[in-house]
Amino acid sequence: MPSSDSEDFESADEGRSSPNKRERKKRLSSSNYSDNLESEQDNKKLEPVINKEASSIKENLPKDGWDDFDIEEESLPNNEPQKEETKASIVKPESSAAKKESQTSGWDDFDDWGNDNDNDIKEQPQKTKPQAQNIQEAPSSQQTSTKSDGWGWGWGVDSLLSTATAGISNLTTQVSQGISTVLETGIGAPDPEELARISAKNDTKPNSAEEKMISAETNHEQSNQSSATEGAFPFGSLLSGVTKFVETTGTKVIAGGLDTLETIGKKTMEVLQDGDPGLAKKRAMLGLDSGDKPVLSQVLREARAKADEEDQLREAKREAKAVHYETLFDDYEGLVHLEALEMLSKQVTIRIEERLRTDPDKRQDIKETLQQVAELCEMPDEEDEEEEEEVSEGASKGDALHERLQRATRDIGLKLQFQPLIKQYTEILTWLETDDPSITEKAVYKKAVSSLAQTTALCVELYHKTGEMLLVKSRRSTADEADALTQLTVVLTKHISDLATQFTEKLTSHATEDKDQVNNYITNVFLEAGNSSKYIENAFQLAIPIVQIGAV
Amino acid sequence: MVDPIFDYQFRLILIGDSTVGKSSLLKYFTEGKFAELSDPTVGVDFFARIIEVQDGTRIKLQLWDTAGQERFRSITKSYYRNSVGALLVYDVCNRSSFEHIPLWMMEAKRHIEPHRPVFALVGCKVDLVGNDNKNGAWREVSCEEARMFAEENGLHHVETSAKTGSNVEQAFILVAQEVYNRIQTGEYKVEDGWDGIKTGFNRPNGMDFNLLEAETVQSTCC
Repeated sequence: MPSSDSEDFESADEGRSSPNKRERKKRLSSSNYSDNLESEQDNKKLEPVINKEASSIKENLPKDGWDDFDIEEESLPNNEPQKEETKASIVKPESSAAKKESQTSGWDDFDDWGNDNDNDIKEQPQKTKPQAQNIQEAPSSQQTSTKSDGWGWGWGVDSLLSTATAGISNLTTQVSQGISTVLETGIGAPDPEELARISAKNDTKPNSAEEKMISAETNHEQSNQSSATEGAFPFGSLLSGVTKFVETTGTKVIAGGLDTLETIGKKTMEVLQDGDPGLAKKRAMLGLDSGDKPVLSQVLREARAKADEEDQLREAKREAKAVHYETLFDDYEGLVHLEALEMLSKQVTIRIEERLRTDPDKRQDIKETLQQVAELCEMPDEEDEEEEEEVSEGASKGDALHERLQRATRDIGLKLQFQPLIKQYTEILTWLETDDPSITEKAVYKKAVSSLAQTTALCVELYHKTGEMLLVKSRRSTADEADALTQLTVVLTKHISDLATQFTEKLTSHATEDKDQVNNYITNVFLEAGNSSKYIENAFQLAIPIVQIGAV
Repeated sequence: MVDPIFDYQFRLILIGDSTVGKSSLLKYFTEGKFAELSDPTVGVDFFARIIEVQDGTRIKLQLWDTAGQERFRSITKSYYRNSVGALLVYDVCNRSSFEHIPLWMMEAKRHIEPHRPVFALVGCKVDLVGNDNKNGAWREVSCEEARMFAEENGLHHVETSAKTGSNVEQAFILVAQEVYNRIQTGEYKVEDGWDGIKTGFNRPNGMDFNLLEAETVQSTCC
């Protein structure tokens, strides 16, 4: 159990001591007048109070499976045996270890208590029955203890209370003592902590003596189950003793605390002024002395500059995000199209593999066909038949791109949508042609990255859509499809590099003083263009199985 | 472009017969526009929008708009897998589109397995009902009937119009909130190799771990 629990417990104790007293008196009298035979009944009467108390000291009562009688018996007595034995020296093997600890301080008590509780619960089933049956019969040793629990619970809590309070006073003394040690008691004034400690000791002694006496008495009571009057006396005196003790300790804690605070304050000033009379240096250091106007405005100026700097930093971060290629590519749905295409590609690959498995006779044939298609889809060498078919004169760059795309895919047997790509290209061209000197090189760079990302996204979408349409196409012509896709890839990668070139030209033409930065931008643009080509190439590779499955 | 900062990304898929209005619903939700005419969807199209759930967490909804046409069925089924939510869309003025809902649901369940998505039953085109024609004769699926089906199958039900915008937001927020709730209860988790739920770009990595930890602590103390 964590120590915080025991703290709670202890403070709850202090506050509640007097109501407890009343409750206890009531309970006490009722049990005193009752016969042993009726003890069970009595216990039931007491139960609500007990439960309340038990829960307030943060004990987890077993609520299920046990009848009321059990609960009460476990929840209350389980803290007693230990305590009782501590003072009265009855040896009970299972808690002897706990006993020793409980003598040292009130804190450990609580911890052990929680553990013992568990033990008691386990024991309970065996105990309960015999007790219920023959309460009056001569009890076995175990039973005696169980019975006495019914009587002894009241003082059990009390002794716990007193131990806990003693724990507080000890702690208080120790703490204040510790503080005074730290401060090395440099003040000439009489030491209040010392006084407090002494009086606390004096107070604790009679109390524990009282406790002992009571324990002995209760023990006595336990053994012969004697009359009511005998029980009533020790309880009353003990309770008043505890209350008084709590009161005095409380006063002492407060008084000691105030004294300690004063000591701390004095000592702090001493330390601060040590070698610095009047705190002149420290004031200077903290800027408290120089509170004139120019300095104040200086401070404000600095704060302003700092805020501006932070703003710029944040802006820079936002900008960095805005020109982040991957993010842009995702925003233009490029990533998700690529992913969807990959899903299709995987699905198709599984189908091809299945066919290879289920048709062993044709396996070789299928493999060859697959190989052929793959070869058809190999990218032509860079310089191969480049610029062979020049587009018609006078056509705009956008139209030229459209024409090339159309020509590349004319045999695919599908109606592909190139419009988004053309439209976007036209927009880029228009932007590039506007000769606005206010456009910074940074703006050009940003536009370059976002244009590349968007173009790439559109290209990937084109592959995705082409793949989907190929899969639902009724008549497949694998060779044409393979060729068309290969040509398409050539055109698209060329388009990307064209874009990059145009943007870098724009950057180079920009008259600027910061040559390094521009070079940096140019490098980045080519880098992202390479990225784009990779994505396109990737999409093309993913589309190949879709072409292949048409042939097998 | 919208503020790219979000905490989670949920992938939702829209399924249902062709021409029930899936694309129109999404167009209204993401762009606030309604097009009288639109081309049939090829395969799958994508939409995205960021919304906020009740506690202010920002969710990017990645919406997969599948083709309803029969010929794309073999393709669209490969797209189900990574969805955390599915909107079963029917046309309130088209009886058969509603009757096919159980089939769509079964198909989705089968392909999304082992994950269990959040389903919502979304009726479209309520603007056609009782608007120009006084007796509402155009309606072929009553609200009660749909609601009953939804209750039997543990779905959320909502009737929408992409023309007037009625209930369009609610349809998506309903699903997003439910998914988010299931994340909170620990039923759904961000998993590697499954894209139904992803954390946003700006989310610190330790976040989910903390969430999980807090939950376990809670369960042990009670």
